[in-house]
Amino acid sequence: MYISGNIKELNTYDAIVIGSGISGGWAAMELCKKGLKTLLLERGRDVEHIKDYPTANLNPWDFKYGLNNTLKDREIDPVQSNSYDPSTKHFYVSDADHPYIQEQPFNWLRGYQVGGRSLVWGRQCYRMSDLDFSANLKEDIAVDWPIRYQDIAPWYSYVESYIGVSGQKENLTQLPDGEFLPPMELNCIEKHLADSLKKNEYNRLLTIGRVANLTRGWDHRGPCQNRNLCHRGCPFGGYFSSNSSTIPAAVATGNLTLRPFSIVTEVLFDPENQKAKGVRVIDALSNEVYEFYSKVLFINASTIATAGLLLNSVSPRFPNGFGNDSNQVGHNLMDHHSSAGAYGLHDQFKELYYKGRRPCGFLIPRYRNLKDGEELDFKRGYNIQGHGERQEWLDRSHNLNGFGKDFKAQLTSPGDWTIWMAGWGECLPYYENRVALDDLKKDKWGQPLLKIDFSFKENENKMMVDIQNTSAEMLENAGFKGVEVFNYKKPGGTTVHEMGTARMGHDPKTSVLNKFNQVHAARNVFITDGSCMTSSSCQNPSLTYMALTARACDFASRQLRNGGL
Amino acid sequence: MNRRTYLKSALILGSLGMASLSVFKWIDITKPVDPALLWSKKDIIGELAELIIPETDTPGAKSAGVPDYIINVLLNCMDIKKQNKFCTGVKDLEAYSINNYGKKFLDCSATERLEVFDYFAQHAGFSYRILNRINNKFFGEPFYLTLRDLTIEGYCMSEKGATQGLAYDYIPVNYNACIPLQPNQKSWATK
Ligand SMILES: Cc1cc2nc3c(=O)[nH]c(=O)nc-3n(C[C@H](O)[C@H](O)[C@H](O)COP(=O)(O)OP(=O)(O)OC[C@H]3O[C@@H](n4cnc5c(N)ncnc54)[C@H](O)[C@@H]3O)c2cc1C
Ligand code: SF4
Repeated sequence: MYISGNIKELNTYDAIVIGSGISGGWAAMELCKKGLKTLLLERGRDVEHIKDYPTANLNPWDFKYGLNNTLKDREIDPVQSNSYDPSTKHFYVSDADHPYIQEQPFNWLRGYQVGGRSLVWGRQCYRMSDLDFSANLKEDIAVDWPIRYQDIAPWYSYVESYIGVSGQKENLTQLPDGEFLPPMELNCIEKHLADSLKKNEYNRLLTIGRVANLTRGWDHRGPCQNRNLCHRGCPFGGYFSSNSSTIPAAVATGNLTLRPFSIVTEVLFDPENQKAKGVRVIDALSNEVYEFYSKVLFINASTIATAGLLLNSVSPRFPNGFGNDSNQVGHNLMDHHSSAGAYGLHDQFKELYYKGRRPCGFLIPRYRNLKDGEELDFKRGYNIQGHGERQEWLDRSHNLNGFGKDFKAQLTSPGDWTIWMAGWGECLPYYENRVALDDLKKDKWGQPLLKIDFSFKENENKMMVDIQNTSAEMLENAGFKGVEVFNYKKPGGTTVHEMGTARMGHDPKTSVLNKFNQVHAARNVFITDGSCMTSSSCQNPSLTYMALTARACDFASRQLRNGGL
Repeated sequence: MNRRTYLKSALILGSLGMASLSVFKWIDITKPVDPALLWSKKDIIGELAELIIPETDTPGAKSAGVPDYIINVLLNCMDIKKQNKFCTGVKDLEAYSINNYGKKFLDCSATERLEVFDYFAQHAGFSYRILNRINNKFFGEPFYLTLRDLTIEGYCMSEKGATQGLAYDYIPVNYNACIPLQPNQKSWATK
């Protein structure tokens, strides 16, 4: 497309951000607040806070088929329908419109809209620690992280103070405390398990989940009303999403231009000054092609999409994809596993109940391989996430026999207390777990399909066995009955923590980004979504993406001012 | 871990059973169900659902709209095997009542209906539910189980079921983690 001088000027911004999800929303807000005229490009539709949450206030009976997906849903969206139900379907892509190739089973779960997956995330927010940042170096796996905890700690605080995270301080080195709003409360069965852990001296501890749900009003939002319908969007602004928080703040600066339906297909490289000059975009509705230009570029399309975008941006300087001198782009794909755990019933506390629907469970922070020399048959560790509750109708329907009056009476009264818990485990960065472009197959905008080749390996599988054993042990020692272990054996992607395809590192020969998330080979391009992760830790990752984003935005704007970019 | 050993042997049994699977049966359960046929059974489905969740001091399945829910969900959300199993199940039940009582199910007395229904409940094989799950994968879930699960779901998510049969809390505001159970406490309709 030929661009005349005038249009070129109109299409030029100080900064461009690609993707408006959890990390892109942060980039847009920070850059706008620094006074940069910022263009936020989002491939999906606009979703306005409150106005575009059509199911948020519906009752169970407002859904004709309950929360069952239809046969048609499952046929059209074989992957996404594993994650959505009729109350959240509109926040997920359609697999038919957005296909990809699974070289091995991999659930690539996505939300293409303003806000990305910040609308449907589980909101668990945990800091990583030096146990995580130094693990690769210590064990000589992949490459070393170019940062340590102290580099990011202030940015964790900065982000937490803005989004509002409720949680309990626990003083653990493997799970640093943050800036917390008052914690949510454990119920009696969870407290019982917590007490039992204390008594058993395993050096394990049970704490309430740390979540971006507001236990008190915060920044014009909330408080959370304990409805536990967060995945539908929250009319009270009770949890953090880009839509409720960062994007409105970016808009309020007057510096934001938001352009939905803009599929970024390529990063444009200027060989003269070795920087990116802008991006090429296909309008998702009209199929027209545009170019936009800027001094700085933030890529936040989410791990797999970002890798695809880089690989698709070829030029004489970057024949293997943008910034890909190391040949690491697309490799080292990670996802946590969360398939293995245990379940049990307790026959006490029958006289106690609860009221309200707490939108989070509990956490048992990592307790494996905290010290050198633990004799386990796997590296790294996992935390346990779970929740306690009394069996309600849905659980009881599978355990009660019979029919009629008595059956009805039992079905509609609270059953035994139960705890379900599973390990969220670290996945090592394997070079062969990767994203690549298919040479032939294209999507409906003529863009190459992505191929994902991923599997969990021996270390992850051994860890899952350990998770089952220690979970069952903790439940049994706390007097639970009928303890059953499980492993759902869900494929990669299911935990929706994909990361690692454009890793950070000291050395441009072995990594894509430096310690400020700058592309080694094009200093005005920053990548701060999950693709930057050098290892996966076992903590839910999005808080780290946000902290790294805020940090990189601060760095970028200072460099811009000093003429360093 | 006795339970796991049990599970394992159940699995082996299940796959042995598979070997004798007849091709005819397979074809029969994979052709689509005629919606008109299913809708024509709404009355009997309603009576069956009401046997599972009868009207007491709170509404029963029929007045909560469960029959429509069952048919809608079956036709739109359940796989073809389940749909077929369900239709065959209703037919079997009708035939059983004619053979044993000499009249249609809907013409049977309350006690007779109960007897007929109980026969099907007994033969759904609850005590072997794990084995059933494996069988279900290939033959479709037995009609009785589908009926029961959909009745429960349809009832507990209906307006009457959720608000009168159970306790529904639209906007809880607070979470009270540990409170005494009230006399006749209903369990919560939603989690
Ligand atoms: C059900 C669920 C539960 C989760 N629970 C948790 C949790 O408890 N804790 C946690 O830490 N994480 C959780 N996650 C993961 C979390 O949602 C992701 O880590 C996070 O959203 C990633 O942020 P992101 O900015 O990289 O990508 P996203 O939030 O996915 O946003 C990416 C955006 O980029 C846009 N985009 C993509 N390609 C292009 C393109 N070419 N051009 C323009 N725009 C593009 C997309 O449309 C999207 O809006 C959960 C996810 C799901 C689905
Ligand atoms: S639980 Fe809280 S944050 Fe979630 S939807 Fe309800 S009010 Fe909003």
